Amino acid sequence: MIGRLRALAALAALVAATGPDVGPYDIPLYATPTAPTAKGSARLVFHESPFGVAVTADGHARYDAQITASGLPAPSSLGAYRAYVAWAVSSDLSRWQRLGVVTNGKSTVGTVAMNKFLLVIEAERDSAVATHGGPSVLHGSSPSTFLQIFQAHTAFFHGVTD
Amino acid sequence: MNRRILTTAALLVAAVAATSSAQQHDTTMPAMPPGMPMPGSPGKADTASRRAPPDSMNMPGMSSNSMPMPIPMPKGMVMMPGLVGLTPPGGTFLPGGGADPASVPQVRPRQILRVKDGDTLDLSATLVRRTVAGRPYIMYGFNGEVPGPLLRVPQNATITVRFHNRIDLPSSIHWHGVRLDNRYDGVPGVTQQAVAPGDSFVYRVHFPDAGVYWYHPHVREDIEQALGLFGNMIVDSPDSSYYSPANQEQVLVFDDLLVNADTLIPYGKKGPDFALMGRVGNLLLVNGEPRYTLDAHRGDVVRFYLTNAASSRTYNISFGGAPIKVLASDVSRFEHEQRVPSVVLAPAERYIVEVRFEHPGRYPLVNAVQAINHFRGEFEAESDTLGMIDVDSSAAAPDYAAAFDALRDNAAVTRDIDRYRPYFDKPPDKRLTLTMHGSGLPLATVQFMNVDTAYYAPVEWVDGMPDMNWLSTSEQVRWILRDDATGKENMDIDWHVKQGSVVKLELYNDPKSFHPMQHPIHLHGQRMLVVARNGVRTKNLVWKDTVLIPVGSTVDVLIDASNPGDWMLHCHIAEHLGSGMMTVLHVDRATPP
Repeated sequence: MIGRLRALAALAALVAATGPDVGPYDIPLYATPTAPTAKGSARLVFHESPFGVAVTADGHARYDAQITASGLPAPSSLGAYRAYVAWAVSSDLSRWQRLGVVTNGKSTVGTVAMNKFLLVIEAERDSAVATHGGPSVLHGSSPSTFLQIFQAHTAFFHGVTD
Repeated sequence: MNRRILTTAALLVAAVAATSSAQQHDTTMPAMPPGMPMPGSPGKADTASRRAPPDSMNMPGMSSNSMPMPIPMPKGMVMMPGLVGLTPPGGTFLPGGGADPASVPQVRPRQILRVKDGDTLDLSATLVRRTVAGRPYIMYGFNGEVPGPLLRVPQNATITVRFHNRIDLPSSIHWHGVRLDNRYDGVPGVTQQAVAPGDSFVYRVHFPDAGVYWYHPHVREDIEQALGLFGNMIVDSPDSSYYSPANQEQVLVFDDLLVNADTLIPYGKKGPDFALMGRVGNLLLVNGEPRYTLDAHRGDVVRFYLTNAASSRTYNISFGGAPIKVLASDVSRFEHEQRVPSVVLAPAERYIVEVRFEHPGRYPLVNAVQAINHFRGEFEAESDTLGMIDVDSSAAAPDYAAAFDALRDNAAVTRDIDRYRPYFDKPPDKRLTLTMHGSGLPLATVQFMNVDTAYYAPVEWVDGMPDMNWLSTSEQVRWILRDDATGKENMDIDWHVKQGSVVKLELYNDPKSFHPMQHPIHLHGQRMLVVARNGVRTKNLVWKDTVLIPVGSTVDVLIDASNPGDWMLHCHIAEHLGSGMMTVLHVDRATPP
C-alpha cells in the first residue's frame, strides 16, 4: 500500500511539476537561437461576444491574442526583414493563420479559432505579408496542447504497481 | 505549485484510505444545505441493479457484449477499470416508487396561459408518463405538461399562483429572474419551508421587467427540474415596438436526459450524484421532445425565446447558417442588437434572438461544440440536430427583411445603465473564489483528475468522463463559494448590503481546484451587469441574473441591490448547488417597513 501511495504521489507530482503553471489563457513564449534576447508571453482573451464566451457556430473558441514581447532586435538586424508578424499555426503545421504585427511591448493581434495551435512570431520582409517565410524568433503553444493522451497512462489500464 | 502538490497528496491519502478498506463507502450523510431537502421515502430504486459486476469487463476498461456498462460512455471510450463495479454511495431514486408507468397520466404538451394583472391560477407538480426513445418513464410535470404552462403576462402585472405539490418529493417554485417580493422567491430554508407532498403554497408574483423568465423548483433540482418541472413566463412590454418585428414567435426550452439502453439513469437518493460536473444527458430535448419542428415561409423572421433548463450542459445553438440577431438576455434587452454566429446558452440563461430564413429549404436547429476526448487527448467536433425548420417557398408577409437587417440601439437600456456607470471602476465590494473540495472519491478518480487537469478547458461542453462523474456525489464533493476576505464559505458567508446600494462582486473561478470547470452563477431577485471579464470592459451591456464564469476567469458584476430580502447566489448546475455551492445576499431594507 505504501508503495502504491508513493507511486501515485510521484505521478501526481510529476504532472504538477511538468504541467503548465499558467491559466488556460496564457502562453509562455520561448526565444529561438535567431533572437536569443527575445522574451515574451501571450494572453488569450475571448473575442467580444454578447455571451461572454465567444465561439464559432461549430464550437471553436474565438480568442484575441494579446502578445507582450521584449528584447526583440530590429528585424533588419536579422536580414532583409522589416517587421515581426505573429502566426497561429495548427498543431500539424499545415495551416498558418496571420494574426498581426508584433512589436516590443504589448500588441493585440488577430482572432484565432483553433482547438490546439502554436503561436509563432517571425521576422518578415514586410508587415503586410500574407504568407510566412522569415525566421522565427519566439514560439509557444496554446494551453490546450497540454491535453494529455490518457490511453498511454498505465495507471489507468494496468494498475499501479509497487 | 506547492499548494497543488500538497492538495494532491492530501487527496491521494484520503482516496487510498477510502478505497483500501472497501470499494463501497461509508455513506454518512452530511446535513443538507438549505433548499436541498432529502428525497422522500416513497421513491425506491434498486441500488444493486446499478452495480456492474466486476466480471462484466472482459479486459481492463472494456465492456463485454452481454453486460452493458452501468453508465453510457462516449463513443469509443470505456469505463476505467478502477471504477468498474463501484456505485455512487447514498442509494438511488426514481419517481413513482416503482409504479407501472401505465398507471400515470400521459404528459401533455405545453399550453399557453394568458394572464393579466390580478389573475389567480393553479400550478400543480404532478407525476406524468413520458415516452422517450420508445420507452415509457415516470417523470414530473406542471399541470401534467412538459414544459409547464407558458405564462404570458403583461409587464408590471401581479398574479397569484396556487402551487400544489402532487409529487413524491418536497418541492417549491422559484420564479427565476423575476424581481419579486422576497417571500415568494421559493427557496426552502431561506424564504419558505419546502412544500411537502400533498401540501400547497400561494405565491404572489410581480413582473417588473419585460423578457423571458422561467419557473422551476428550488428543491433537488437535479431530480425535479431535470425530470420536467420547468416552464416559462413571457413578460410583454406595453411598447409594441419593444423588439424589432417578427413573423412568428417560438419559445424553446433546452434540456437533456441521461438514459441507458432501456433505463433512465437513477438519481442519488441522499443527495445528487454526478457531483463533479453535473448530470449531462445523452438525449437532447427541446420543449421536452427529442425532435423540434417548425414550419416557416421564405423570408420569415422568427423570434426565438431560448431557455437552458439543463442541469449542467452549456449549449451552442445555431440555425443551419441562417443569420441570427441577438436582442435580449435574462432581464433586459441589450444596449445594442448584435449579429452572432450562434447562441451560447449556459444553464438557466435566457436569450431572445431573431432569425431570418431567407431561402426555402430545411434549416437544422443544431447544438455544435468541440468536445474533449480525454483518452486520445484531442478535441472532437460534436454536433446534435435538435430539430428542423422547414421553410416553404411562399413569401413572408409582411416582409421584415429591412427591419431584421437593421441593428437597433436601445437608448432606453443605455440610459438606464448610465446611472450605474460611475460604479464600473469601483473596487470590488466582495470577491468570491469558486473552487471545490473532494473527500473519499474513488482512487481512480483522484488519479485521473490530477493528470486530467494538466489542461482545463474554459468551458466543458460535454461530459468526457461520465463514469467518474457518476460516482461522485454530494457526500464526497463540496463545491465552494469562498469569501476571499474572511475565508468563509457558502452559507457561512454573512453578506449584508443596504437596499439601494450598487455592489461590485468579483467572481474568480480557480483553475487550480481539484476539478476546474465553468459555473453559471445565478443571483435571485436582483439584476446585475457584467461589467468586465478578465479586466476587459464589456462593450454591449445587458441586465442579467445568471452569468457564466469560465475556468480561470475573473468576472466583475455590478449588482443593483434594489430589492430587499434574503437572496440566494449560487451555481445553477443543479448538482453543484446540491453540493453546497450557494450563499445568501442579504439586502437590508433602507427603511424598516
